Amino acid sequence: MALGFSTEASEGGNFLPICKFDCRAGRMFRRDRELGENIDVDITKSFKAVIDLENIEVGWIDFDTGGAPSFALGPIDNMPDKPSEKHKRGARFVVKLAKECGGDVREMASTAKAFLRGLDELHDAFMAGAKKNPDKLPVVVLVDTVAVTTGEGSRKSTNYSPKFEIQSWVSRPADLKPQQRAAAPETARSSAPSTGSTKVAAPVADDEDFG
Amino acid sequence: MNPFARYGIEHLSPSQCNLFVASPAMYVMERCLKLRSPVGAAAHRGTAVEAGVVHGLLNGATLKECQEITKKEFSKLTALSGDPRIDKEQAAIADMVAQGIRELAPYGKPSSTQGLIKYNVEGLAVPLIGYYDMEWENHGILIDLKTTHALPSKISTNHARQVALYCAARGDNLDARITYVTSKKSATYQLENKREHVAALGKIALAIQRFLSISEDPHYLASLVVPDVDSFYFSDPKARQNAFDVWGL
Repeated sequence: MALGFSTEASEGGNFLPICKFDCRAGRMFRRDRELGENIDVDITKSFKAVIDLENIEVGWIDFDTGGAPSFALGPIDNMPDKPSEKHKRGARFVVKLAKECGGDVREMASTAKAFLRGLDELHDAFMAGAKKNPDKLPVVVLVDTVAVTTGEGSRKSTNYSPKFEIQSWVSRPADLKPQQRAAAPETARSSAPSTGSTKVAAPVADDEDFG
Repeated sequence: MNPFARYGIEHLSPSQCNLFVASPAMYVMERCLKLRSPVGAAAHRGTAVEAGVVHGLLNGATLKECQEITKKEFSKLTALSGDPRIDKEQAAIADMVAQGIRELAPYGKPSSTQGLIKYNVEGLAVPLIGYYDMEWENHGILIDLKTTHALPSKISTNHARQVALYCAARGDNLDARITYVTSKKSATYQLENKREHVAALGKIALAIQRFLSISEDPHYLASLVVPDVDSFYFSDPKARQNAFDVWGL
């Protein structure tokens, strides 16, 4: 794996826009900023990206700080200690989206187990294919989302794990730099948070007992 | 003794926090001096419409049946009210139920309604509690229903803080939404920046704690604030009289 990662908690640096996978909904979003507002664009169907798995960071993340997330991350072979009880095991990496789903370089980070499960499988495929594709990065597509149900009774909960597939291998894009670093642009605020003005429709109902 | 206990306050809620922000004087009057003001017809409208909409979603009842439930609930809640706005609200509630059912029926049957949530803020001596309106666990969606006479173009800050708190307690991955209904229209907006709104609510709650810790004497706390008697908080005659009795204003 790549070297040179800072393992200290970071809250600054060059901000990158983000992508996020919503495990509760099984959807992939690209988060854009327009006039100070967050706009989540659903790219589940079109998600295709060069993922810099060579420089993936693993460790500990606390998203629930009330401000910028707290990261304590390092390369896979040098995971830092857990900084606090609030930090959860997570991963962070940088992707370059294909033109059809945005075309720019973005950061992804998550502590969701359902997401990490899919990411782990992708990383295994990356490690297996990297030997045959030296100095190249995988072009990854999201082929499916798999429902994972945990708990019982009132605590029963369903999350969706992404199922990624390596479609091909390419040379590292010029703008996907190994040392790119990002830090939660949505929470590095200099203005009041928006409340929400995006109208949303109901999902397709799957309860057949409602008339 | 923590500053809440001296005033018999066992918990805070989003509505209490919002009240403190909007009218510290009314907060002191109601929570410290225990001079409660009557609940207005508009608040009863919300409760009654929600009852009808939830009945429809849970039971697949006819619209007429849902509207009857709402009318009965509203009549019961306002039976002893002197609020002059009762007639206006009564005229609107049946259509609001229709709008609510139309907007929310596509979500299917909620997995839970009126769920109690409890959330602890670091450094706060009492918990924040509240009741969310509806959750669809299968969709990972939580919705609060709000009734109004003018459809807003975005979620109000107070509503954002309230629903963000529910999500913080229920699970950060929930898709939080607020459905606004008027007698003619409806719209559902997706809540943004949940963590920030919860953090704001925590700051407000801690401000209340610091304020209450100033004195054990509610009249001293009252002397630190002044009511805006033109605000709707003091529009009820009893509330207006209480303000005059406390502040001489």
